[in-house]
Amino acid sequence: MAIAIKLDDLLHDRRMTLTELADRVGMTLANLSILKTGKARAIRFSTLDAICTALSCQPGDILRFESDAEVEPAS
Amino acid sequence: MNKFPAALPIAYITLRILIVINWVFGAMILALLIASANEQWIMRAFHLSTAPNPAGLIMGLRAVAVLGLAAIPLNYVVLKRLVAIVETVREGDPFVAVNATRLLTIAWTLLALQVVSLMIGTIGKIVSTPEHRLHLDAGLSVNGWLAVLLTFLLARVFAEGTLMREDLKGTV
Repeated sequence: MAIAIKLDDLLHDRRMTLTELADRVGMTLANLSILKTGKARAIRFSTLDAICTALSCQPGDILRFESDAEVEPAS
Repeated sequence: MNKFPAALPIAYITLRILIVINWVFGAMILALLIASANEQWIMRAFHLSTAPNPAGLIMGLRAVAVLGLAAIPLNYVVLKRLVAIVETVREGDPFVAVNATRLLTIAWTLLALQVVSLMIGTIGKIVSTPEHRLHLDAGLSVNGWLAVLLTFLLARVFAEGTLMREDLKGTV
């Protein structure tokens, strides 16, 4: 997937656990784990809105586009 | 939400009964085919002694019986897959990839059954004479071909629905 999730860094910066974030955004820990590990196929605007509100950040702070050339090491 | 809670159990039981009836019909057709070896008996049973070409009529009846016998496993394929689809509905998750495959198999099998029906109808017309008319419930059926078309469409709808369902499952 070319879209990477940077939730780990944000949580670390905010000194917040995934369980606390799940409580604040009203999501299940399982669903949040799916998002954090990059296994989600799509994200709702409402979810993005809730996470940005809880972490006081912008969507761009959570999502990052990584091109294939960036992901795969040059041969 | 479900307006007809009894619909699924009724469909399940009906399909199970139809599977049994299908095999019973298969056994009866097989018995008729074996009995047709005795041409005298067949001629008496169907009052063919006065027919201008009794041998042709008997051969036609045998061909119809063979085709009828071929339709039995085809019917079974359709009914068995319908039972499996009803079971997934009862389990609460019918939009699975395997149901799209099952519907596609049903569509191809219904197509084969329509071809068999056409062949039976054609044989009936060939061997039928003004004195001995064969009234076979077979031939070209607009409803039958429409059912084939609808089942192919439904299989496609299920395939698309399954993909959408998988997307939804991965949405957070």
